[in-house]
Amino acid sequence: MALDARIPAREDAASRLLDKGMQPQSTAPGQTAEHFRQKVWLTWALLCALLGAGFYELHLDFGYVGQKLPFLLGIRLSPDGFIQGAVLTVFVTGCSMICAWMIAVLTALGRLSRNPVAFAIATFYASLFRGTPLMVQVLIIYLALPQVGVVLGGLTSGLIALSLNYGAYLAETIRSGLMAVPAGQREAAMALGLPRWVASWKIIAPQALRLIIPPACSLFVSMLKDSSLVSLMGLWELNFLAQSYARSSYHYMEMLLAAALIYWGLSIVFELVQVRLERRFGRGVVARGRHAAGPRNG
Amino acid sequence: MTLNIRLRRLIASSLAFVLACVPFAHAGTTLDRVKRTGVLNDALMESYPPFGFIDTDNQLAGFDVDVAKAFAARLGVTLKLATPGWETIMSGQWQGRWDICICSMSPTEERAKVLSLPVRYYSSPAVLTVHKNELLIKTVADISGKRVGVGMGSSYESYVNKTLVIPGAAPIAYPFRNVLAVPGDETVNFRNLALGPGVRLDAIISDFATAKAAVEASHALKIVGPVIYAEPNVVATEKGDAEWDRTVARIFNEMKADGALAKISQRWFGQDITHDGP
Repeated sequence: MALDARIPAREDAASRLLDKGMQPQSTAPGQTAEHFRQKVWLTWALLCALLGAGFYELHLDFGYVGQKLPFLLGIRLSPDGFIQGAVLTVFVTGCSMICAWMIAVLTALGRLSRNPVAFAIATFYASLFRGTPLMVQVLIIYLALPQVGVVLGGLTSGLIALSLNYGAYLAETIRSGLMAVPAGQREAAMALGLPRWVASWKIIAPQALRLIIPPACSLFVSMLKDSSLVSLMGLWELNFLAQSYARSSYHYMEMLLAAALIYWGLSIVFELVQVRLERRFGRGVVARGRHAAGPRNG
Repeated sequence: MTLNIRLRRLIASSLAFVLACVPFAHAGTTLDRVKRTGVLNDALMESYPPFGFIDTDNQLAGFDVDVAKAFAARLGVTLKLATPGWETIMSGQWQGRWDICICSMSPTEERAKVLSLPVRYYSSPAVLTVHKNELLIKTVADISGKRVGVGMGSSYESYVNKTLVIPGAAPIAYPFRNVLAVPGDETVNFRNLALGPGVRLDAIISDFATAKAAVEASHALKIVGPVIYAEPNVVATEKGDAEWDRTVARIFNEMKADGALAKISQRWFGQDITHDGP
């Protein structure tokens, strides 16, 4: 429990990243957690410096990057008054995330269902959308649906494609999480006389979420970058702007690197959220895990 | 676009689908829509400088944009620009998403099958660009067995593959064989060519204006040989509205006749590329 009590005092980003998932279960003899953290910071700083030195060698035009940064970040609106750049990227990812989550829960329940039709629909959907490329799905939804009378805007098409694609992947993640909760948990809840939905919501879901969150967050980080495919439909998101500026001005490296760094920054935010969620849903379990791991490694 | 309009459109196009056995279910819709809404939806490329690009103020700019502005002004409607991917434009199933594409499109037989190409608005020759240290490639006859960069899905790709047929023009000569076409983004191709002769590409076939802009930007390229073929560029519309096509052609011919197009051309290229003969 001493380890857990220390956790809320940590505020810096790196140590948050290090927490739980990334920190080894046990430190080597004689090495305190403080030492470990310092060395990690140092290594990060060195790697960042190396990366920075690499960029410096490219002789980039930082003035041009500075000039385009407000547009890339989406602080300014696009010519037709819509959000653009990183803000649009985050908007598309956020909306798709919520929809994907809902689709995935339904699909996972269908996969675990005893109803053959529900099972068939869930497996068919998951197989179809995991088995075809996202870009093909985006184009089919945008170009083929109009031929049967459904004309969707670029943003709507993009959101639907991303949600359906990632919903299929997420469904498998959720299913594995649900299946990993021992059957005894539900049996115990039933034995205590809890109604089915209370057992699901209060007993099964929190335990499953602990297992679902790390892979689900990985999926969302990946979705953040795949959201660039909506640029096919003329949406001015981060990747679209970076490419267009690059082509319009012939400042290729500057724009690509700027976009890469912004995507990276956004991913780091996602990772920090992940750490918080993991900590929240891992209460109690992780403390035991660490104590149990101690003798094995130490 | 309000939900109401979208809903109405959805119902309208659902009905159209139900009645799909009737040919030209959409006949007359584009002109009606433009008149009713007072908005012209124009699709164009945002990464095709100097015809279409995003300028330092984050606005769409270029020759195509100025032509679109002039056209919309003559029509007396508001111009709304969209920048969908080339493949979504070329699919031809616009379903009312865009009214017109003033987007430097070269007419080909394949394109004429899926889109209506009512009028030419400029003509710019196809040229050969090589690295400035290139010694062997002097004309298009020297590209046999070489790697030649072309815009993906462009008329230049068809040319290198010897399948280009410009409707109404004389057949094109292909004085080369076994050319390895490297389709890709045109600006990326120019970057690859600038790495050195034969490093990733040996040559690029492209429009003269885009080649000139790339040569000026990189200082490592040169345009060689005579003009390969004269290439007309047309305005595209969705198939099925002959009256809209006539209106588009009439206004463009007016702009050619009174020198409005020539003025835009002078501003961007220092010469008039809008006089293309027939």
